[in-house]
Parts: sequence; structure tokens; C-alpha cells
Amino acid sequence: MPDTPFEPRIVGFLCNWCSYAGANLAGTSRIRYEPNIRIIRVPCSGRVDPLFVARAFQEGADGVMVLGCHPGDCHYRDGNYYARRRFNLMHGFLDFLGIDERRLKIDWVSAAEGKRFAQVVSQFTDQVRDLGPATVRQPAVLGG
Amino acid sequence: MIEQICSIAEQILADKTVDVVIGYEAGTRGAVRPAFIRSAAEAGRLVWNDACTHNLANYVREKHVSPKKGAPPAKVGVILKACDARALNVLLRDNQAPRADLYLIGVACQGMRQNSGFAGRDLGDLELRCQDCAERVPAGCDVVVGEAPAAGVAPASAIARELDRLAALSPAERQAFWDAEFARCLRCYACRQACPACYCVECTAEQLEPSWIGVAIRTPEKRFFHTMRAYHLAGRCAGCDECARVCPVGVRLDLLNAWFRREIEGTYGYRAGQDATTPAPLASFVPSESLDL
Amino acid sequence: MARIGVFVCRCGSNIGATVDVKKVVEALGQTPDVVFATDYMFMCSEPGQTQIQAAIRDHNLDRVVVAACSPTMHFRTFSSAIQRAGLNPYMLEMANIREQCSWVHPDKAVGTPKATDIVRMAAAKTRWFEPLYPHEIGVTRRALVIGGGVAGIQAALDIANAGVPVVLVERSPSIGGRMAQLDKTFPTLDCSGCILTPRMTEVSQHPNITLRTWSEVATVRGFVGNFEVDILQKPRYIDESKCTGCGECLTRCPWKGFPLEFDEGLGTRSAVYRPFPQAVPNKPVIDPETCMALKSIAEDADRRPDPLTGAAPKRKPKCGLCQKTCPREAVDFFQQPKITTEKFGAVVLANGFRLFDPTVYGEYGYGRYPDVITSIQMERLMNAAGPTGGEIRRPSDGKHPRSVVFLACVGSRDEHVGRPYCSKICCMYTAKHAIMLKEHDPHVQTYVFYMDVRAGGKGYDEFVRRAQEEYGACYIRGRVSKIYPDGDHLVVMGEDTLMGMPVQVEADMVVLATGVQPQADAGDMARKLGISYDGYGFINESHPKLNPVESNTAGIFVAGMTIGPKDIPESVSQASAAAAKVLGLLSQPTMLGEAMISAVSQARCTGCFTCEQVCPYNAVERVTLRDGRQVAQINEGLCKGCGVCATACPGKVINLRGFSDQALLAQMNALFTLPEVVAVD
Repeated sequence: MPDTPFEPRIVGFLCNWCSYAGANLAGTSRIRYEPNIRIIRVPCSGRVDPLFVARAFQEGADGVMVLGCHPGDCHYRDGNYYARRRFNLMHGFLDFLGIDERRLKIDWVSAAEGKRFAQVVSQFTDQVRDLGPATVRQPAVLGG
Repeated sequence: MIEQICSIAEQILADKTVDVVIGYEAGTRGAVRPAFIRSAAEAGRLVWNDACTHNLANYVREKHVSPKKGAPPAKVGVILKACDARALNVLLRDNQAPRADLYLIGVACQGMRQNSGFAGRDLGDLELRCQDCAERVPAGCDVVVGEAPAAGVAPASAIARELDRLAALSPAERQAFWDAEFARCLRCYACRQACPACYCVECTAEQLEPSWIGVAIRTPEKRFFHTMRAYHLAGRCAGCDECARVCPVGVRLDLLNAWFRREIEGTYGYRAGQDATTPAPLASFVPSESLDL
Repeated sequence: MARIGVFVCRCGSNIGATVDVKKVVEALGQTPDVVFATDYMFMCSEPGQTQIQAAIRDHNLDRVVVAACSPTMHFRTFSSAIQRAGLNPYMLEMANIREQCSWVHPDKAVGTPKATDIVRMAAAKTRWFEPLYPHEIGVTRRALVIGGGVAGIQAALDIANAGVPVVLVERSPSIGGRMAQLDKTFPTLDCSGCILTPRMTEVSQHPNITLRTWSEVATVRGFVGNFEVDILQKPRYIDESKCTGCGECLTRCPWKGFPLEFDEGLGTRSAVYRPFPQAVPNKPVIDPETCMALKSIAEDADRRPDPLTGAAPKRKPKCGLCQKTCPREAVDFFQQPKITTEKFGAVVLANGFRLFDPTVYGEYGYGRYPDVITSIQMERLMNAAGPTGGEIRRPSDGKHPRSVVFLACVGSRDEHVGRPYCSKICCMYTAKHAIMLKEHDPHVQTYVFYMDVRAGGKGYDEFVRRAQEEYGACYIRGRVSKIYPDGDHLVVMGEDTLMGMPVQVEADMVVLATGVQPQADAGDMARKLGISYDGYGFINESHPKLNPVESNTAGIFVAGMTIGPKDIPESVSQASAAAAKVLGLLSQPTMLGEAMISAVSQARCTGCFTCEQVCPYNAVERVTLRDGRQVAQINEGLCKGCGVCATACPGKVINLRGFSDQALLAQMNALFTLPEVVAVD
């Protein structure tokens, strides 16, 4: 449908204890935000393999978010420190391979930050909408 | 130098310090190839020249030298350049090679030439990594043959310039560049086979549970394979560039790994293989560090 | 082949109003491996659960997706429902289409496709589930209570009375906390000390309670049922086993005039001191900053034992009067700090609060004008054991004030100082102060500048009315803009919004009703325990209604002001609630551990031990296989299921059950490969 405006497809990896709870708080507070995000719950941001992010772009995501606990507050103590190092590298590497670095957002959202969760998601969604569709996407990949 | 190398090899085979010496020998039609010398008498097969580019650390992993069943592990002597020695340090740190069973023969290196190891091709310029190399003499070996080159030849930044050139492009231009590179890839996995740090029992590219990558030979799959491999090697790639050398279609894999090496050295001051003990940066953290996300 | 059942809840209108549930069910019915899909009004209710159980039986389902609220709400509910129908309790995934969809997207055309995606992702994930069997871990039948205020005391007594040994750690020299500083408590005007001190004595004498005052929790290791805690005993420089609390040393110490922390800057103490006469334990403490003997020892090596030979010091410490006069020779200037490591099965955190420092309100003059005091300082003036013996005297000249002005909401309900919340207790304690002042001196006139009066407890509103109607407190609705001195009194300039005019009150004393905030080191303590806290430092309870005294870390419970503003009845209730939770946890010798933990596929492990390096719980062990290879193995008791190992593993041979690579990739795959749900008509 040529007239349908582009709506980005956003995948969000949220850690169970902080950002996922923050998203729930946005829900209980009935705070509205851009709906494009599809959330995948993980126990810890340290569980988010940067390759999941690469795979998400491969499969057709226009934007990807990884939201974890604030450094120092990880429920599992150290998980988000590893996430921080991994994504500091991977963010740059994906950009090196041609995936605009503005399509990936790593941030820290606590369980008490419902409003902030909504802000971060809406802001990012708007940003990706402005960037347009990601062109690394290809038709369906088998398996998995 | 070659006389010294042969003499050391002869010695350690004769006195049973090692069961095999891995080095270089003349191959078919003038190319150099890896050699597996199993007796002192054969030590004369060894050569040393500017075509000895292969990373022999790749052969010391236990699988390659596994003894007959029930026999004690083989003791292995191996000839290493500086880049090879770094790769070996990574294997030592990752418990992939037993230091006690190794005899490391370091050789001071003047740089290797492009097209090494391929029969029927003329040798080209110095390999990019050799142009950039400031190390020349391997560290951590049991014996070292040769001396550091005379001062005066400053290392270039050939690889860095290529990375900068790509960095200056727009994301779309970079995507086009890499799509064109990956389009040629055959998924032959020669890069993986040639890499000492690719020691996984079952490569994630070929796992079925989960299927990280489909089996099709299409650009998205190939892009993902190389993304995955480069990321898996982050902090473990010593920069021997064997992957780029053995690629039959000349994909610039060296640039993928070089990108990670430059970032990691810049952020953490860490070079893979700088020693056999420091954990890789991705396996450690500093709580107070501040990193761009 | 999986046989998935999908159950979509309408949750009354919570989901049904903004998601076309029938369309979601229809789409799921066409999803691979889903053999049964239906919807219901309240899936978590008894009939809802029965429906799931019936479907499991009738359609031979082997795994279930419940599309409803967040798994944090009802995972356990549905998990035990399916278990009762014969399935392994972990063959369940909840799709959050309420908090993360229906409640935030009011347009059905938006919410329905999104909900469909969410449920399809959940269904795809379940195809990779396997039955999980959590292992048993031992439980240490001992509890640790951190904080010796009224909440900590209550929790410790409740746990100890049930026969479980408790260690109560308090960092000040005595238990009692804030309540010990108070004079009377609202609304009954009970004497605070009279109701608290018997409890304090009970704690000190209870056979099941080990009281560790002047102590701090240094580090916490381990996990629920198996905590290992290092407790630091700071040196009192008094041997507690010898000291009888006779108080001789207190009378003899010549070094006086130092600010007494307990009196909030109004009273003084000597270098050897007790915070208050009814301190429990009733043993003094010597302050090394102000004790001449200790300072001389610190400065002069000759006054210390020889570090190599242990020979007695060459010179005596300076002063040392307390040591000379102590009839039991209990003074020990060379006492060292000690760390003991103890094991506990559960921890209760009740480390209380501190008060807002009103210095930041320059216009009120706190810190400049001695007669502008805080509410806690007023308590100390009122308290018979306080710095003025219970007489209300102005700090400036010691005279009795005749006109006292109270300012409510100082450091509460104020975005400008980063404290937008209400501190809950100030309206009540201000009314109490107004009443008590009049009791002390019938000629006193009190004024209260208030914004709203919050008196929501039993007898609370009546209490505030009494202050106005019986005790003549003049309540003025408005804020104060400035306080300045005029002669020997203060002038308070404010506004009376009900009259619509500015007012000025001459005051002999001004009392600021300062708000409450968490302890300065609340964040540090929370990080030691691995629990989360909010932007102010208040501890996050697991759920304000469903789990008000639990943290999100198993085995760590919380009670009292550390969670948020509340009064004494609430603190005591929460303490008893936390104690009940602790007793439940410790009632069995073993408990089930985490089920969603990691396991290494040892046939494919290369033995690089990257996992070992990154595991926050040191849960990775090295084992040697029969073929001589050394590979990694994960200790099921220690693994908490974070998955950092699975991500770090280069060969991807670690399976984090419940969040395996397959499961997560399948969720993504479902999102991008199944046909898009077209917007509803």
C-alpha cells in the first residue's frame, strides 16, 4: 500500500528486574507511548547477545533497543557492566558495517522510571521513523 | 637464520624435547607451506623467507596433534613470528594449548609478502599487517632466532588508513561496500579454518539448535556469519590476517577484525595476545568506567 | 511437535476495551503448533484456571501461553494451575498484553496487531521449552535484622519468639532508633520511651537474639537460604563483658561539650558517652575523635604496644581517668575492630530514615537563627531526658517561648528541592507539638502554616481538631516567605490563602516540619544486598500491594521508613509482616532453587572458561571428562539464571533454560516471519 506511512519495526530487549518493570509501571500509570516496540524479556541486559541485535536487523527490524538496569544496580550485580562493554563495541561495529548507529539505542531504565521508559521509547521510535526503513533487512531467514 | 632454525629443530627432535616441529617448507610450484618435521634427519626441509606468512599457532591446538589413543600427549615445537606468538598467547590463555607440551621457536621477522602460500603467483608488496608492525620479534618464546630490525623503518598505518577511509563514508555507503564484499563470499569457511582463535568444537554457523544462520548462500546470511565471527573474535584476534589471505574471493575480512582491534586497543589499551594471562576485555569490566553507548 | 494452548484474558475491560481479543484468538489459531486458542473474561479466576486445565486434558496440550497481565503478577498463579493439570509448571509463558499493550495504547487498531504479535512471540518461545525441575537447596535457620529502630526491634522479637535465632545489627551505640528520640507519640500521646524501652530490654534479654550494636554490615554474599554476612564490630573501647553500665566513667570524663548526635545538635556529651540514659545495651562508647587518651595513643607510638614484640607500651596514654575510675577495669584503649562472618537464611532490612536538612531554604534562616529549629530538635527539647530536661527553652537565651510558629512541608511536596513526595507524618507530629507545647505552658500560642492537613489514620483527624479546638493552635493555610530576626524574637512572614491576605507573626521560636528521606548510605546498603531502590533512595518493594515487605531479591525483606514515609503503627505492622515472611522462608530445612538456570553442553565445550570469568556468582566449576578434556560445569545451587555466561560463551554451548538462544531467536523470528496482522476494520 503505497500510501501507508512508514512505521518502523522496533525490537526491544528489556531486563526483567529494571526496564521490564519500568515498562510495566508505564502501563499501570497509563502513560502512552509510541506502539511500535515489541518487547523481548530477558533476565538481565547481560543476557542480550549483541548478535541478537545483529540478527534483529537482519530479520527486518528498523530499530533495536536494549534497556537494562542502571550500572551499579544490576539485580545480578555485574550483568549490565558486561552489557555496557559489549554494546559499546557492537554499536560501533554495526555502524561500521553500515547500520546507522542511530538505529540502536542502549539505555538504562529502572523499575521506578515508568515515565522515562515511555519517553525513551517514544523518542527513539520518532528517531527511527525519521531515518526511514533499514535496508539491511532481507526476506525471512529459516530456522530459529 | 635458516641454519640456526634447522639446527635448533634438529636438536630438539634428537633429544626428544619434542615429537614434531611445525615450521615452513618448500611446497608445490615454489609456494611455501607448513611443514611437520618428525625426525632430526628431516630438519633440513625447513625454510625461512618472506613467504612464510602462515600462522603456525593454528596447528598447536590439541586436535591437530592428538596422539594415538592411550599415548601421552605429543610435545610440539613450533616456529612463530610476532603475530603468531600473540595468537598462541590467546590460545594459552583460553586453555586451548598446553604450554608445558610446547617448545616455542621465535623468529625475528622482516615482514611477509602478499600472495604468500599460493603456488604460481608472484609475491607482492609487504602484507598490510607487516607494514604496520612495530613488534617484529616475538615474545614469550623458549628461544628466539634473529634480531630486531635496525631502527629507522617506522611502522606505517596502512590498515588504520583503510579503516578511516571507510569511517568517513555514510552508513549507506558502508553498507553498500560490505554488501558487495559479502556478495562474493562462498561460505567456504576457509577463513575459519585458517584462524587459530576459531577453535569451537561446533561452529555457531553450523549449529542447528539454535540455527543462528540459515544454510542459504545469500548476502544476509553471509553478512551475519562475518558479523558473528568478527564479534566472537573481539579481544581474541591477534591480527595475523590469515583469514583475509586464504579467502579465495578476497573478502576484506582483515578490516572487520582490525576494526575491533583498534577499538579495543583504544578503549582498553589491550592487544590480544599481549600476554597469556590477562582476561579479554569483554570478559571483564570496571564499575566506574564510562563508555559511549 | 509442540501442542500449544493459547488463553487470552480480557481482564474485564482492562484488555478487552482496547484490544480486539477475538481477533487475537483467531490469529493465534492459525499459528504453527497452536492447537487450541480461546479467550475468557478473567483468566486468573477459579473458572478461568479450570478452563485452562480442562483444555490441557481435552486437547492434550503440552505447553500453555496465557496472554494477560505481566508475568510478574500471575506467573505463579497459572504455573500452579497447569501443574495441577499434570503439566510441568515451567511449560508456561505469559504474554504481557495489558501493562505493555492494552493499558498504553487506547486505539484498538493499534493495540490489536501489537497484542497479536506479542502473543505469537510468546507461542514461538514455548516451542523451545522443556520441563524444568528445580533442585533443593539447604536453608540456614537464622535471620539477620539490619537496623535497631522500632521496625527492626519488632521484626527481631517476632522472629525470635518463633524460636529462630536472630542477629540484630545496629550501627549506633544503642537500639531504639528515631522512636527513642521522641517524647510522645501521636495520636494517643503515649510516652515514646515508655512503650519502646520495654521492647528494647526484651531484645537485649531474649535468648534467641544476639544484639550487635556499634556494628555494621560490611559485605553480604550468597543467596536466599544461604547468606554469608561479614559484620564489623567497631571498637567501643569498653569491654562489654565487664561493663555494668554504672556510669562512673561518664561522670569523670573531663572532655565535655561535644555535640551529642542523639540530641540533634542541641545537647552535648563527653568523649565517653551513652547516647541516652535508657540506652540498650547500657554500655558507653568512647569517641576516638574527642577522647584525649585515644588521640594520644594514635599520635604517639610509645603509648602503643610494640607491634613486633607485643611488649607493653612505654608510656601511659594521656588522661585515662575513665580507665582509672572504672570499678570493673572495663576500659580498653587498645580494642580493635573485629569482623565476624555469619550465616543466615534471610535478612530483614529496617535501616530507617534521616530528616531533610532545611538549610537549603535560606529564607527560613535555619542554621543562622538559633531559634529556628527542626521538628526532631523540638522532640529533644520536649523529652525529659533531653538537653533541657524536658523544658521548652529557646536555644538562643534559654527563655520559655510564648509564641511558637510551625511551618509544615519543609522539604516535602517541593519539586524545587527534589522532594515532591509527602512525608506523611509531619502534619500529625506538628499537631502533637502544638498540643504538647500548650501542655507544657498554657500561655503559649502556637501557629501552624500548612498546605493541606493530612491526618488519615485512626483518631488522626480528631487529634488535629483537638490541637485547634482544645489547644488553641492557630492554623493558617499558606506558605511562609521569609523569617527574619527583630530584636530578641523572629518575624514570620507568610500568606493566609483562605483570608486572601499576607500575615506576619511574631515568634519566639519557629519549628520547621522537616520531611523524611532515606539514610545517606541507603543506596550503598541496597547494593550490598543486591536490592533496588528508587531515585530518592527508598527501597523498592516487590509490589506495593501484593508483596509490600519483600524486595525483588529472594530472601531479603524490608520494613519501615526505608521503603517510604510512614508512621510508627505502619512500621511495626510491616516489621511483623516481614518477620512472618522470614519465618515462612525458614520453616523448612530445604527449599527449591532457581529452575531457570544455565547448563553447559559439555560435549561441545572448548574449555576456554570465559563463562567462569564473567559469572557474578562464581557458579562455574571445572570438570575433567573421560577423554581428558577439561570443560565447564555450572553449579546448580549457585546459578541465579542471569545468562551472562550464555552470552559470553563464544561457542554458544550454554543453555539458559527459559531464555535460551533458541527461545529468544524464536521470538524475533515469529515477529518477522509470520504474516502481518492487518489493521482491524
